[in-house]
Amino acid sequence: MEIKEFIEKFAESIEVSDVEALTPETNFHDLEEWGSMAVLMLIAFYDETFSKELTEEDIRRAKTIQDLYNLAIS
Amino acid sequence: MDKQFNPFSLEGKTVLVTGASSGIGRQCAIDCSKMGAKVVAIGRNKERLNEVVMEMEGRGVSYSFDLGNTEGIKELLTTIVEENGKLDGFIHAAGIELTNPVKLTKSDDYKALFQVNCLSAFEIIKNLGVKTFNKGGSMVLISSISGVIARMGLSAYAASKGALMSAARVMALELSLREIRVNTVSPGTIHTPMMQKVLDEMGEEERKKRVEGFPLGLGRTTDISNACIYLLSDASRWVTGQNLIVDGGYTIK
Repeated sequence: MEIKEFIEKFAESIEVSDVEALTPETNFHDLEEWGSMAVLMLIAFYDETFSKELTEEDIRRAKTIQDLYNLAIS
Repeated sequence: MDKQFNPFSLEGKTVLVTGASSGIGRQCAIDCSKMGAKVVAIGRNKERLNEVVMEMEGRGVSYSFDLGNTEGIKELLTTIVEENGKLDGFIHAAGIELTNPVKLTKSDDYKALFQVNCLSAFEIIKNLGVKTFNKGGSMVLISSISGVIARMGLSAYAASKGALMSAARVMALELSLREIRVNTVSPGTIHTPMMQKVLDEMGEEERKKRVEGFPLGLGRTTDISNACIYLLSDASRWVTGQNLIVDGGYTIK
């Protein structure tokens, strides 16, 4: 999966309305939509799409969408 | 006086209505169209849906679908949004009724009522994401005063309607992030085909007692559609997670 497609799916998973504003460098922790519910939706997204168990520690360490992408394809 | 002033207008909004082929849902579909909304009507009966669309103002569309199935709801919504654009409003008026003492109510009865009365709505809301439902939109789930007060024989119905209210509060909280509001409307006894059947099955005395319980008499379907229009319109911008009781005063006694 290319990063462009990842960003779209990431946005859909946590219900970000303005996909256009997202870049690999975006710090997702700063997003308006980011919060405890988004954490759960992101974990479900990794589980469904990449069959990966994303931990809260992974999420804490990741800063940008690029970091999340790296976790997805690693 | 400003003739244009109308805080309850639904102009420019696309509203999805379930249970639109009869009763409260039918009235909501027709009246929302009269307030300027483009209405997408869902119901089981294609023929009756067509009649409802004929009674609508402007461009109404309908899709026949049985909400007894959860499967296919996602695909249905995808089709609806592809063909009509993103939605701004949702009224869940699909509902079935059962009067049976607790002792005779089977687990399957509870399941059947839950499926149509609330699970189908939950599935619809689950699938109305950023790509299908506009920011600032509003959702109204038709509950019942039976979800608030006790009536003999209605355990399954009451449970399913109460579930709508408690789920709506949580959904309202979560969807507030997208500025989407979720409320329930709880009607008392309204003159609908479904309630007529219930009234017909009652004895003379029971029926009289029921009707007398309503200080303002029995309700009309427009009493509920008007409440829904308020909750869908921008007039109720700051109202979410609430249950609006519309019952002619039944529950104040």
